[in-house]
Amino acid sequence: MIAIDYLLLIGSVLVLISIVFAKLLDNIGLPTLLLFIGVGMLAGSEGFGGIYFDDPSLAQSIGIISLIFILFSGGLETNWTESKHIAIPAFTLATLGVLLTAIIIALFVMLIFDTTFLWGLLIGSIISSTDAAAVFSILRVGNIGLKGKMRPLLELESGSNDPMAVFLTISTIELLLLPEKSFLGLTLVFVFQIGLGIILGFGGGKIMAYLVNKLKFFYEGIYPVFALSLAIMIYSLTAVVGGSGFLAIYIAGIILGNIQFVHKKALIRFFDGLAVLSQIAMFLTLGLLVFPSRLVEVFGFGLLLSGILIFIARPLSVFITMLPFKFSFKEKLFTSWVGLRGAVPIILATFPLLMGVENSLLIFDLVFFIVLTSSLIQGWTINPIAKLLSLSAPLKRKYQAPIEFSSRNDDDTDLIEFIVPFGSNMAGKQIVDLNFPEDSRIILVVRDEKNIVPSGGTIIEEGDILSILVNKNNLEAVRKTFF
Amino acid sequence: MKISDFLSGGKIIAELKGNTKEDIINELINLYADDEKIVDIEKVRKAVVDREKIMSTGVGKGFAIPHAKTNDVNDIIAAFGKLKEPVNFDSLDKEPVNLVMLLVAKENQVGIHIKLLSRISRMINNEDFREALINAETESEILSVFEEEEKKYI
Repeated sequence: MIAIDYLLLIGSVLVLISIVFAKLLDNIGLPTLLLFIGVGMLAGSEGFGGIYFDDPSLAQSIGIISLIFILFSGGLETNWTESKHIAIPAFTLATLGVLLTAIIIALFVMLIFDTTFLWGLLIGSIISSTDAAAVFSILRVGNIGLKGKMRPLLELESGSNDPMAVFLTISTIELLLLPEKSFLGLTLVFVFQIGLGIILGFGGGKIMAYLVNKLKFFYEGIYPVFALSLAIMIYSLTAVVGGSGFLAIYIAGIILGNIQFVHKKALIRFFDGLAVLSQIAMFLTLGLLVFPSRLVEVFGFGLLLSGILIFIARPLSVFITMLPFKFSFKEKLFTSWVGLRGAVPIILATFPLLMGVENSLLIFDLVFFIVLTSSLIQGWTINPIAKLLSLSAPLKRKYQAPIEFSSRNDDDTDLIEFIVPFGSNMAGKQIVDLNFPEDSRIILVVRDEKNIVPSGGTIIEEGDILSILVNKNNLEAVRKTFF
Repeated sequence: MKISDFLSGGKIIAELKGNTKEDIINELINLYADDEKIVDIEKVRKAVVDREKIMSTGVGKGFAIPHAKTNDVNDIIAAFGKLKEPVNFDSLDKEPVNLVMLLVAKENQVGIHIKLLSRISRMINNEDFREALINAETESEILSVFEEEEKKYI
């Protein structure tokens, strides 16, 4: 056997174990990211698996690739009509809120560890963003229904605040290593990054939709591959020219997810699957990367910093940032609580490690510890807290439609429901005898809430609901069949 | 997924004032004027009225179920109203209508939309239910008629 065979075997077994655990522990509500990290730790050199993995650079690459898919898929599933009226507060949280969190943490680190402000700011920046993967996985996969604007707000915030954290981290490292850099210069870099991210993400999303609609491939399997390469290109191109690739790919996802295009459902499913795999792969890798024994060493300080983050820094920055907006006290409190940290801080913590910053190993372990406690304490209690603040809502009925149909603007077909009136001429007849126009079809009959797949011999009854695929030019002929 | 869940929270009018089809539809939709499920209330009205033009939703037995699918709602909305004086709804049986159930779903809620329509149709078919509805005088009485009836369906 060659090396790749072993790698594949180990990789697939780890993923399968993660899935099995996720299934088994489904009902205790443990955030899945903790579970995957846990499997990684157990498989690692200090666990049962004995796999020695100590390559932050590989872990960083896996993390970045995974984040691309997670953010893109998250964007695709973001409902813009639901989100647009909370976009401004969400983006304020994603920028100003992140900055405030970083600064507050920095001040505390300075006081407690007796360090310079910059060193404190490095830790603050790394843990300043809430994590899209964690928030999405808890709000979307978990059994959580949230009232009104809370869910779109939290998702939009977590999807768009990574660029700020990445920027703050990289800038702080640069200031630490090259003290002559000016803060003004860095601010310009930031504006440039965000600007490019927005422009390229927006443009990229539009072009992607146009191309997917325009190009006709003879083989349907090409579409996801085509979209996949375009998505990766949007990220990498933006990053290469100095913009925020993460922001670009998230925006491209939102744009694409909110316009109609061919094979939309299939593409969304494809990326959803990819995002799930990415999450598992990423958290497994991060679990392998950490050495649990070292986490024990930072227990005291880690817990202290987590407490400061959860109970002081996040609430303070949320309350200050949301001051100009119309949110109730409870909503602000809840937003403070959903300050889940996840993969991004851990990936960011590999940056100082790779760039040779002093004490970077300590930073990595501290950050890892904080992420674990944050997702354990906050992730596990989101549901009860939402209930306590009476912000939880009955879970959105995830009803599987028997038929999925999306009408496109450029054709004449539409799916319309008709109730067979009591006393209708149609009742008691077989479909074949209805004189139905050629280009319209009854595709589903629902009787007493049960689906019946119709055939020519199906007899229509009063009160049946008919789902009819109609040619809009022929509506009159369809209508007549009822009389 | 119960009709009565959608109607609780003041989505019932015991005595509709309108005397045309359009007025009645507007009255019911107005119950959702400040509701966060609505994206654009005018477009919701238009969607329901447009669907009515394709074929009247007066289904006989004095009942009408104006409905539509539109992305101008975020989620399913429903409302119910009664009329003292029956109003012409262009029903197929030409009889005027005194019981009106509004149902609007988002475009991708085809499945749940059909199921709810089917439940309403099933309830209408029950004469005791219609009788009880007509005899109920207040909003809360009407709601409990729905709740009682839906206990039979699981």
